[in-house]
Order: sequence, then structure tokens, then C-alpha cells
Amino acid sequence: MRISAPVRAAAQRLTLPTLVFAAGMLTVLGKADILLIDRLRGVVADAAAPVLQLLAEPMAGAAGIVDKVTDIVAVYRQNELLRVENRRLLQWQEVALRLAAENKSLRDLEKLVPDKAVSILAARVIADSGGAYLRNVLVNAGARDGVARGQAALTGEGLVGRIAEVGQRTARVLLLTDLNSHIPVTIERTGQRALLDGDNSDRPRLVFLEPKAAVVAGDRILTSGSGGAFPPGLPVGVALAATNGVSRVEPYAELSRLEMVRIVDYGMTGVLPQNAVPPSRPPRPAKPRVADVQQ
Amino acid sequence: MARVMMPRDTRLGDRLVPFLSTLCFVLVSVVPLQIPGFAAVTPSFALMAVFHWTSYRPDLLPLTAVFVLGLLLDLLNGSPYLGVAALTLILARTAVLNGRRYFANGTFAVLWLGFLAIAAGAFAFDWALVSLLYGTVLGTRPFVFEAALTVACYPVGSYVLVRLHRAFVRTSTA
Repeated sequence: MRISAPVRAAAQRLTLPTLVFAAGMLTVLGKADILLIDRLRGVVADAAAPVLQLLAEPMAGAAGIVDKVTDIVAVYRQNELLRVENRRLLQWQEVALRLAAENKSLRDLEKLVPDKAVSILAARVIADSGGAYLRNVLVNAGARDGVARGQAALTGEGLVGRIAEVGQRTARVLLLTDLNSHIPVTIERTGQRALLDGDNSDRPRLVFLEPKAAVVAGDRILTSGSGGAFPPGLPVGVALAATNGVSRVEPYAELSRLEMVRIVDYGMTGVLPQNAVPPSRPPRPAKPRVADVQQ
Repeated sequence: MARVMMPRDTRLGDRLVPFLSTLCFVLVSVVPLQIPGFAAVTPSFALMAVFHWTSYRPDLLPLTAVFVLGLLLDLLNGSPYLGVAALTLILARTAVLNGRRYFANGTFAVLWLGFLAIAAGAFAFDWALVSLLYGTVLGTRPFVFEAALTVACYPVGSYVLVRLHRAFVRTSTA
């Protein structure tokens, strides 16, 4: 199509202001939790998932090789550490066996109703935000696998974050280091409550809810279960020595190199606003599926 | 064959490679690289691609294309503020367009210096905008670190882009 030069020049001059305006509008709309934008996020993530997965796997492989080399170098030291740990674990095993026996006898006594079963799903991390102000990852399990907003994401070590967005086949996990992450926690030693607020640094900060609360370095931090987002007692991290009056927590999970996460549904979707959640279809019961079958 | 048959301006490589390579760079910037500490700050590969194509062939990566790719980046990185990357990239493109006389005709060092200036501006803008949106002054460290990493990685990105450029696209504007 031929357009006369002046018209074209005028149109070109208008493109920049128009697009700047459009970007501004999108920022406002995106923040307003509009269903359409939420859906769009899900759809784009779903569409990109196959490509991202393809790219993510060799990366994980390369990281594996680096890990192996590091392991070989560190094998002697690790062996020593494992010996010590093994001794400690044997002690714990004894304790566990004793408690199991005690538990059994108490159960027989009380006719306790067992906890509602939780569903656990393993998902692969296929993208991470990579931005200076964003701490989240995209995983390859979504609404069709039964993932819903508010569920907890964990690794073997501890809590990673919670599900913030759900597509059909992907979901976004808001890491506990993100600026928008606020997780009710409890200090194991004292039982005091606090909020674990992400501030985009690797170590989220503790905001105490009780006036005299304090931590000492090495305190274990667990989820408190208040707010109803997570069940109480999930391991979160270890408190560090306070600097300038700010206490920070070193998460147990290594958040900068997540490869697989477990998404756990405890049937609690508490603190998240539900109005913007797309009506999630119940997971298809016929085909229970682990999201990532190791290819 | 295609070279001979098709009119110069509509060659497929010319029209597709700048867009597709920038798309790839956008995707790569969200792929998790499992290096400790690296996930927090991944170099902005998208900025490299926009800088390269705008410096050499702005006609092949128009403003609208940059906007769309920026929006895709916004959607993929899970930003609560949609449009931030799109806005940063279209403004960066506009800035590059004004400076391309100096960038594109000098040595690689000049080009790199130009990229440094653009990246510094882009990340400073990003920091200011996101701080404004969050309503709090964000720490500058991650932004400075990401900008430095982006500038440091530019030769690698540039190498890939130049190879693609030479293979599929005419080097200069007709």
C-alpha cells in the first residue's frame, strides 16, 4: 500500500506517543487485576511453555555437569560432613521410632481422625523473571493439573513461595523474596509471630508482630499458618544476626537455582484476593498426572 | 535463488530475522540459568537485540515491533506492572535512533560505549519507574548489577547478532 510521504511522516511521529500511552494504560490495567489481563498472562505463558521447556532442559543439564565437577572436588569434605550428619540422624531415627510408637498408642486411645490427604505435584521450572525487581518462576503445571492460586511451592529443603498466577498448563510461583511476598511465620524457639517480607534481596526480612519479639542467629523460621495461606510448620529458613536492627532470614530452599518444585495443596487458599482468580475448572479426575514426566 | 528472484526490499531474511532474533533474545532472558545468584539478575538480552537492530537497520525492527516484543517480555517475566519493559524498550529504541550515527559508524569500542550509555539510561529509567509504581524507593544494587552484567555480556550478544545479520540481512540501508 502506498501512502503519501507527509501522511506517513505524520503517522510515524504519532507512533511513539501512542505506544507510550498504550504502555501506560496497560500498566494501570495490569495492576487493576483485570480478568482479561490475568487470562492473557496465562495464555502467553501457556503458549511459550513448550519453547521455554525446550530451552530450560539443556540449561539444567549444563548446570548438572558443573555440579558434578564441584562435587568431585568437594567429595572429601562432604564425606566428613555426611559422617557427622549420619551420626546425628541415627539419633533422630531412634527418637522418631520412639515417637511413632507413642503416637500409635495414643491414636489407639483417641480414635483420631487422620488429616485430610494433601495433593502433591512435581513441576519443572521453565522460566524465571530475570528482572532486577521481580522474583518469580514459571512452572510447567497449571489449572489442568489441579494447581490453584495460593498453593504452597516447596523444595525438599523448604518453602519457595506461593502460586500467584495460573494458566492452563503453567503457573507462576511468587518467590518469598519478591517485594510482594508477605508470609506469616513463627520463630520456632520462642513461638513468636512475624511476617516474612520479601524486598527483592536474597534474604527476606522479618517484621515482628509482637513488640518484644527478637531472633538470635540460627533460629528456625517456620510458617505460622495464620492468614490461612499455608499450614503451620513448613520450614522456611534460618534467622541471621540482625544488622542495623533488621533481622533477615536465609531461606532453606536455594531460590536462585530452582529446577523442580513441589506444589502442595493443603486445601487452604486464604490471604489471596479471590475476585481476580479465573474460575478454575476442577482438575480432570480421570487422568491424574505428574506434570513433568522425565523425558 | 531467493536472492535473485525477490525484490531487494521484500527479502524474507530482511523482514523476519530482526524480529525473530529479538524474539529469541526475549525468550532466552527468561530461561532459568542455574548458576547461583544469576537468576536474580539476568542480562537484558532483549535490550541488546533492540540496540543492534536499531543501530544498523532501524527500518527492519520498527517501533511497533519493539513494543510488541517488550509486552511479551512483560507477560513472560510475570511483572505486576504490564508495559514497563515495553515502555523502556521503545524509549531505548528512540534514544538509539538519535545516536546511531555515532554508534554504527565507529569501531566496536564506540558501539559498546554507546550500548553502555543506552543501558545505563534504560536501567535508570526502569528503576525510577518501578520505584514510582511500587511507591517506595527500591534498592539500586540489583539494577546497577543487572545493567553492568548486560553491558559486560554485550560482546557475546553482539557476536550472535552480527553473525545472524551477515547471514540473513543486507548490512546497510539501501
